[in-house]
Amino acid sequence: MDFTAFKEKIREEAAAAGISQYELLYMTNDSVSVSAFGGQIADFTAGITGGVCFRCIVDGHMGLAYTQDLSDSSARSLVLRAADNASVIESEETEYFSEGGGDYEDYEPANMAQAAPEELVNTVLSGLEALKAADEKVTDGCSASGGATVQEMYLMNSNGVDLKYRGSMDYLFLEAVVSNGTEDNNEYELKLGEPKDLDLNDIAKKATDKAVSMLGAGTAPTGSFPVVFSPEAFTSFLQVFSSSFSSDNAAKGLSVLKGKEGEVIAADIVTVIDDPFYPDNPARINFDAEGSPAHKKAVISNGKLETLLYNLKTAHAAGRETTGNAHRAGYDSPVVISPFTMYLVPGEFTEEELFEKAGNGVYITSLGGLHAGANQITGDFSLMSSGFMITDGKKGEPVKSFTVAGNFFDMLKDVTAIGSNIKLPMPLSSTAFASPSVLVRELSVSGK
Amino acid sequence: MIPMETCRKVLERATATGADYAEIFAENTVDHLISMISGKVDNINDGVTAGAAVRVYKGLRSVMATTIDTSEEGLLRCAARAAEALGEGTAEISFVLRERLFGDIHPIKVVPSAVGNREKIEILRTGCSAAADYSKSIVQTTGRLLDVDHKILIANTDGVYAEDRQIRTRLMVTAVADTGKGSQTGTCSPGRRMGLEMFDGEVDAAAAGREAARQAVVMADAGYCPGGTMPVAIDNGFGGVIFHEACGHSLEATSVAYGLSQFTGKLGEQIANEKVTAIDDGTIPNGWGSVNVDDEGTPSQKRVLIENGVLKMYMIDKFNGRRMGMESTGSARRESFMYVPTSRMTNTYIAAGTDSNEDIIASIDFGLYAAQMGGGSVNPVTGEFNFAVNEGYMIRNGKICEPVRGASLVGKGSEIIKNIDMVGSELLLAQGMCGSSSGSIPTNVGQPMIRVSSITVGGR
Repeated sequence: MDFTAFKEKIREEAAAAGISQYELLYMTNDSVSVSAFGGQIADFTAGITGGVCFRCIVDGHMGLAYTQDLSDSSARSLVLRAADNASVIESEETEYFSEGGGDYEDYEPANMAQAAPEELVNTVLSGLEALKAADEKVTDGCSASGGATVQEMYLMNSNGVDLKYRGSMDYLFLEAVVSNGTEDNNEYELKLGEPKDLDLNDIAKKATDKAVSMLGAGTAPTGSFPVVFSPEAFTSFLQVFSSSFSSDNAAKGLSVLKGKEGEVIAADIVTVIDDPFYPDNPARINFDAEGSPAHKKAVISNGKLETLLYNLKTAHAAGRETTGNAHRAGYDSPVVISPFTMYLVPGEFTEEELFEKAGNGVYITSLGGLHAGANQITGDFSLMSSGFMITDGKKGEPVKSFTVAGNFFDMLKDVTAIGSNIKLPMPLSSTAFASPSVLVRELSVSGK
Repeated sequence: MIPMETCRKVLERATATGADYAEIFAENTVDHLISMISGKVDNINDGVTAGAAVRVYKGLRSVMATTIDTSEEGLLRCAARAAEALGEGTAEISFVLRERLFGDIHPIKVVPSAVGNREKIEILRTGCSAAADYSKSIVQTTGRLLDVDHKILIANTDGVYAEDRQIRTRLMVTAVADTGKGSQTGTCSPGRRMGLEMFDGEVDAAAAGREAARQAVVMADAGYCPGGTMPVAIDNGFGGVIFHEACGHSLEATSVAYGLSQFTGKLGEQIANEKVTAIDDGTIPNGWGSVNVDDEGTPSQKRVLIENGVLKMYMIDKFNGRRMGMESTGSARRESFMYVPTSRMTNTYIAAGTDSNEDIIASIDFGLYAAQMGGGSVNPVTGEFNFAVNEGYMIRNGKICEPVRGASLVGKGSEIIKNIDMVGSELLLAQGMCGSSSGSIPTNVGQPMIRVSSITVGGR
């Protein structure tokens, strides 16, 4: 059955089960993706997927169940399972659904014309050719992929909240594989936009140049050095440690920022903003996963922690308003607290000026193994890195297979200069991160 | 799940435009995850993933269409979408479906979806309480109990019509300890392809909780690991993540078929130290990464990947096998119908050798003993990998000394497997979730204790 009929069925089943407080979320994704290898299309995938999640509050406790099966019997089972799950929750925090009626900002949702499959196929094949033409070191291992996706979401609850979101976007992803005869390297470049608007040669050149520049890389020396992080590298830090800004993690003793609101936690040049309407992110939206209005806010302002991020539950527990940061990765995921697009506000320097300020140090362009080498609770990190030496204030030879180690929160206090070159490297998610280049006074590097 | 006659019609529709192969993969999966924090049930995530994907091949081209409408009409529409995306043509193949029986070598006694929340919560509480009670330095505990009931059906134009039901259970306990030097965590996450009978003898929930707490307490007092290049002894169990990252991913057709692996074209060559024999075995009874049949309907196998350092075999799925001119090794796996399957690992480990743990430690003048490893990642193109050491100790003059925190290991896979120059005799497997292009799937890693003669240790 369709969602409208399913919604009615849920209403009946909830009433029959004596459940008066509930919420229904429906998400669908209509997407086409194409990938090419060796001069021809290798994979083509198309489909509509999605599902529905029912949440209910029974005696102050939240229960949920989700399904992709929109049948009569499924509606009944969904309601009963959610209620049963609610009945065994032991957490003492009281749960709430949005009362609605908030101030939802006007905004421009992403609305790219969904590329036709033929158009995607042509773009991807041309992208692959552009890679081949970009540099003589490019190998046959290159690949190109592209996609078009339309996402829809409906959120309604028993308090009368009834919200709808629709966003669409197209993307192209080029992976350059290059070789100098003795070693291979790969790099990629991702660009959003309708196929007709993309400059394929420019995207290919960026991916290829990055890959070629790392060929013949040595290993960095071991020691303590000034470090300049590229926008991509520093974005990785924001992504990994953003969980520390969740008031839920703070309340549970899983964040070092517990009790630090209003305190200075970073150098005074550091300002971090969370913005649901960040222009470069197509996943712009004016409500959060609980239906509260979403808005732009400073998280760190000139080094001071202005606020953690809250949802309805943690805001009530703290006796304050939600910041509208309830988030769900999908209909099949629970509500967590996370930013929309969180970014470090750019400073005034070019990367070259940051290298000059660093003197002799390391320029890190890529960090790996973030899910393993970074402790989200303590802020400690020890991460595989690649980049370039900085010698006498200038970018020098490429280096890889070394690690950089430190503590994220100590590092925030040690930021000595910020670049003007902000970038949002992975704009494919409703939680995204952007950063300019950043100079840190000193970090531990382990290499040869 | 879907009658054979319906499958026949759908495959016929899928091949109507000239595909030389077509496949239906349908699933109905119930996931149930209970989360506990500070000893209290905090959240339950509970749901059904249900749908189907139709794939068609023509030569080296693959098209997949997905649907959550698994009625005959819905499946036929899905097949038509795939057929039309493949191009214009006429049917070129014929097939007869026959029901295949794969013996289920993973007996299940207590199906988790038939057991209520309260019974599961008590198991979880046993693990979390044991962690909390381990030491007064434990300041927080979190625990999760996951059970999955994954029913799949595969029908394809090779004539396969097969079903499998994969039931898995896993307990995950994390403890946070703080003795004033900054908090540290420890985790223990045992899982099996079993029902809740896993907790009757196979896995001790309280012991898992105590193990998580023990790691956290040890590391809470540890100083930072020094960085540099040194020999490392990596203990058994999850230590096997080194082979998984440094070598395993690079032996998957996912990268080999495209010439993107450092091991492409190296069959029969000495790629590792002769002490190294590595195996991928999807047939271990009740093993976390085991499957009766892979996600393309090929029976699971036990395969020697590397024998005494010589590369013997890759892990191959049907589609990438075409590009390589090689048969499937039963390695196709996907998180769900929404992912395009590709070749993946199952239970993958370095086989037991003949060295003793004592000799391995005694052989190192100055180095690191990695008692517990964390997760890692690899870039198969360059072979560069990294992983975290969750519990490490310095080795001096052949003796294990003080614990150290914050270490990571980085290197290049093709170099590191040549540096594995001692292999112990006590093989142990450990459970993980492996992420790749076809999603997140359960895999076992494993090894006895090994010595890596030289590797970069990240520290400070």
